[in-house]
Parts: sequence; structure tokens; C-alpha cells
Amino acid sequence: MVVSEEREAEVSAKVTVRGIVIGVLAPAIATVVAYPIAPSRPEISIAVFMLAVVIAAVAGGLWSGLIAGILASTIRPLVVVDPQLTFRLDSVEDIATGVVFLSVALVVGLLVGQASEDRARASRREREARFLGTLSSTLHTREVPDRVLDEFASVLMEPFALSKVEIDATLDGTDMRAVARANGEAAAGGPRTSVRLLAGDAPIGTLVAERPAGGRPFSRDDQLLLEAAARQATAALDRARLDARARNAQLDAETNQLRAAMFSSVTHDLRTPLASIKAGVTSLLDSAVHHDPGQERELLTTILEETDRLNRLVGNLLDLARIRAGALTPTRQPGAMDEIVEVVLARMRSRLADHVVTADLPATLPDVSVDPVQLDQVLTNLLENAGRHAPKGSEIGVSVLWMHGAVQVRVSDEGPGIPLDERDRVFEAFYRGSSSPETPGSGLGLAISKAVVVAHGGRIWIEDNPDGGCVVAFEIPGEDDKP
Amino acid sequence: MNRVLVVDDEPQIRRALRTSLEAHGYEVQTVGTGEEAVIGAAETAPELMLLDLGLPDLDGTEVIRRVRGFTEMPIIVLSVRDGQHDKVAALDAGADDYVTKPFAMEELLARARAAMRRAQPGEPPAPSMRYGSLEIDLGRRLVTLDGDALRLTPTEYLLLEALVTNPGKLLTHQWLLRKVWGQGYGTETTYLRTYVRALRKKLGDDAQAPQLIVTEPGVGYRWIAEGSGAES
Repeated sequence: MVVSEEREAEVSAKVTVRGIVIGVLAPAIATVVAYPIAPSRPEISIAVFMLAVVIAAVAGGLWSGLIAGILASTIRPLVVVDPQLTFRLDSVEDIATGVVFLSVALVVGLLVGQASEDRARASRREREARFLGTLSSTLHTREVPDRVLDEFASVLMEPFALSKVEIDATLDGTDMRAVARANGEAAAGGPRTSVRLLAGDAPIGTLVAERPAGGRPFSRDDQLLLEAAARQATAALDRARLDARARNAQLDAETNQLRAAMFSSVTHDLRTPLASIKAGVTSLLDSAVHHDPGQERELLTTILEETDRLNRLVGNLLDLARIRAGALTPTRQPGAMDEIVEVVLARMRSRLADHVVTADLPATLPDVSVDPVQLDQVLTNLLENAGRHAPKGSEIGVSVLWMHGAVQVRVSDEGPGIPLDERDRVFEAFYRGSSSPETPGSGLGLAISKAVVVAHGGRIWIEDNPDGGCVVAFEIPGEDDKP
Repeated sequence: MNRVLVVDDEPQIRRALRTSLEAHGYEVQTVGTGEEAVIGAAETAPELMLLDLGLPDLDGTEVIRRVRGFTEMPIIVLSVRDGQHDKVAALDAGADDYVTKPFAMEELLARARAAMRRAQPGEPPAPSMRYGSLEIDLGRRLVTLDGDALRLTPTEYLLLEALVTNPGKLLTHQWLLRKVWGQGYGTETTYLRTYVRALRKKLGDDAQAPQLIVTEPGVGYRWIAEGSGAES
């Protein structure tokens, strides 16, 4: 697409080969047509020549018309006046006809030229508008100021037939530079022009455009169009800058929110067990108080339980920190998922003593490459959650199955379940389900489980339990599935 | 009195261990670095070493290697939860067992007692041992459950023998593979798992509530049943 092109506007103003050919050809054809009829019907032959002049002026422009007019007024008397082919230019009538022919050629030629210039200008305006429109939408999809400039530079190349574009701009104190070059190093030293980038009235940078050596010089239209394009670019630049600022602000807000949630959660969850431990220990150390063996045992049991709770929380926080730092890399080794399930169930047996725990493990199961410690942690978290949310005496089921080349582990409970719209959010750190905001728990278990499963190339999700409650399932792809 | 060498760079842990171990009648020496640990092991010849892997000067595995140069005394490693690699490395370097921090004192004491008992030269193990309704006669290579002879494959028998002759000890995958399959083995944990599963089934042990063989995921297996000498 060439946006600015002068050729069409020049049609009527300049002598071209095409114009001369038409100017000569039109009266020649008229002569051939008029010759046989001229002696009997001279007025028709005049009309034929007139028609030739008009056609030449319309088709070839002003100069074409004038050439045709001169030729027609010269030839016409030879054809029309009897005896034919006798040159004679003496009658007033011949001179008058010549003047009329030339006047018609002049008027028609000028009118046609004007019209075609108008047409060319209109179509150029249309192309410019289209170019600027495309430019605007292209630039506004770029979200980073640097990208806007790069895009702008490269988008100018073809429409303006450029060999090189250099843009230097300063935005918010940051210097930016974008350079675009035509494919294949064109000879340097062609016509150059420069346009200022203005934000409002303040210059923020310069655009230098260069055409290949021997290229068309920059016209006034080129210059104006470049300036318009530059205005579009500065507008897009401004918007990208504001967008970036808004995004950063939003990110900051989210980070702050998360940090606040983390602080409140950590403060609460760390302090609560610490408070129990300290209260228990100071009570036991107090020589003024005498505890009977039963009270002493109770205090010590509390201290032990709270220590375990603290230990689990610290473990979870460490895992979260690892996830954040991108340092949660599984140390994988071939292992059987059912073996991990068995070990976790054996360890959790006493903690889930209030529930009926069932396990459904297949007789044989292919090996999967897993980090046993991390997968142990995932299962522990899922079982802890189930134990925490499901009522006493209800059933907690663990099943392992092999499906589509992946091992799938399902932990089902008969608790309150998780509403559909929360099933993604529960995997976010510090998120606590709306149905159980008061249930103890750090809100980290599922987030960590998800991170571990994803680090193993698997996925984790929540389903409805047909018996009420929910199923948390995850799957880890088997060895063969890996490319 | 049994002498225990406690190696940990945290003074609080040293104090807690000293107090608890002394209350159980052990004579305790505490040091904070790996160099001191090697020197202490050589000079005082303790009956047991409790070794923290995260020492400021030497790698815990290096300490084990050096100590193993001159003594076979039991070494129990104190490690954090995630140090699975370190645990296996320490066990393969010659540690007898590990306990994960934070640990319950009773667990540590049970491991310590078991490790020291194994180290006792004492009398050779009884040729026939009874574990509830399970009886294993190593002399006659005969295993009976509720009086019925079990048909074990030669590999299953070798695996069982390796386990019961190291009661309470955590046997790593690598150790078991070399012991049962031969020196050329060490990474074929799938074999091992298959045989442990088969063995458990024949012995009537439930992996979800094990009475005989405990799995330590990613590390190895441990024979936990307390046997009593049986009349053969």
C-alpha cells in the first residue's frame, strides 16, 4: 500500500507519452472516419473531429486535448474542403473552427484534470485515513511504551517506502529508542525527513525517516501524514504509559492484600499455639501452684499438640516461601503412589480416629516419578482438610486409580462441600472457604498441594461427592507420557 | 553407663538433649562442630552419636565418613523434614538411623536403644524368632504363620532375612538391593517394592497399619517387630 502518491494528480498537468499518443491517435481516427463522409456531409465531419478532441482531452488530459485540437484544426480543412487533401488555411471559417477546437480542448482538458486531481486527492485522503486508523488500533493494542515505539517504527516502513526509521523519545525521564530498517540493507543517503513527537505542545522526541538512495523525495503530503501518524503514536504511548502505571498499581494492591492476609494469618496462627505453649509451660514452672498428675498431663498434652501444630504451620510457610521463590523443585524418583498413600494413612490413623477412613488401592499400579516427601505432604494436607471439615463419624475415602496414563488420587469426605464458584479460589494461598471461615487451618494446604502437583506436571481439582461433601482429586502423569 | 555424644550447633537443642538423656541415665557429652565431633568420637569412644547434619564447619556426611574410619559405634542423624537426599546420603555413608526434627524424645530414645542393642557384640541372634503368630527359623530357612509353613521364593526369603537380622534399623533401598540382589544393583527400587509387597501379603502385614515392615518413602524399609526367641 502506498499512501501518498503524486502520479494521478499529475495526469493533466504534465506532457506524458500516453498523452501525446492519445492526442495524435484521436484526430487520426477522426480523419479516417470523416474522410469518406466529408464531401457530402461536412457538418458531420466537423462533429467527428470535435468528438476526437473532446475524447483526447478526457482520456489524455489537457495536453492531449491541445495536441488533438491543433492536429484536428489542421487536418479538418484538408478533409472537408473540396478538393480533398489540398492544404489551405485562408478562410475565416477554418481559423474559427481551429480556435473552437482548441478552446474545447482547453476547457475539457482543464475540467478533466481538475476532476482527476480531486479524485486522486479523495482517494489519497481515504488511504491516509485508513492508514491512520489501522495505525491507531495497532498501536493501542501494545501495552508497553517500548513496544508502541517499536511497532510504530516498523509500521511506517512500507506505506512510506522507507529504508530506515529512527525514533528517539523521552518519557517519564526514561530514554527510549526504536529503529526499524528495511529488509536487505538499502543504499544509504536517500532523502530524509524528520518529525517531532509532541505530547500536547511539548516535544518528547524525534522521528527521522529515510528513503533508499534514489528514492522519491518527501512531499508536503508525506510530511503532513507523518506528523499525523506521530500524533497517533504519542497518544498510544501516553495510554500505554497510563495502562502500565495502572497495572503496577493493581499488582501492588494485590501484593499488599496478600501480604496483609499473610500477616494476619501468620500472626494469628503462629501466636495461638505459642500462647498455649507459653501458658502451659509457665503454669508448670510456677512453684506456687501444685498441679495434680492429671492436670499436669493435660497441660503437657496441650503443649505437645500445639508444638505439632506450629511445626506443620512452619512447614507450610516454608513451602509457600519456596513456591514464591520458584524453588519448589521436586526431587523425583520412581515410586508407587499407593505406597505413599499407605504410609500417610498409617501415620494419620490416630489423627483421623474420629472418622471412618477407607482406602481403595489397586492390586497393581505402574510407577510414577514423584518426590515422595512432597506427595506425602499433599496427601497429608488433603486428609487433614477432610478431617477438619467433615463431621465426626463420617467417612473419609482415599482411592488410587490408573487412568489415561496417569495415576489419580481421590480424597472424598462428607463435609459441607465447596460451592462451585469457590472451587478455583480455594487453591489460592490464605483463602478460606466462605462456608467455614472459622475452621482452624492456615489456608495454605491446598495452595501448596496445587503447587506440588503442578510442579509434577499434574493437576488438582474438586468434584462433588455423590454422598454429599466433596472430592479433592489430583493426578500425576506416568513415565511413558513424558516426551 | 552409656556415653552419648551429641553433635548440634544449636545450644538450645544441646541443652534439651543433655537434660532429657541424663534424666534417662545416659552420660552426655555435647559439641557444636564437626571437627569436635570427630575428635570426641575418637577420644571418649562413646556408645552412640547423635549427629545434626547442618553443622557450620563440616558436612554431616563427611563427619560420618571420618568417624566410620575408626569406629562402628551407632550414629543417629538428626535432620529436618526436607533433607531426604541428605538422609539417604548419610545412611549410605554409614549412619544407622535418622530422626526428623522436631522429634519426640521417646521416639529418639527408642531409636537410640535399638541402635545400641544392635551394636552390642552379645550373644548371636537366636536361630529362631517368634513375632506373634509368625515364626522365622533362620537356621532351617523355615517361615511359619499360625503354624502353617509359608512358601517364600528365594528372593523373598533373602529379603526377609535381611530385614529381621537388622531389627529396628532403617535399611536403605540401595543397601537392601545390594544385600539381596547383589553388588551390581542399587537403583532398581521397583523390584524391591514388588518383593516387599509380596512379602507383606504372605506375612499378613497391613501397610496401612504395619506391625512388621514399615515403609520410609524414598528412603527404605524398617523391620519394627520385637521378636522373642522361640524354642525350635
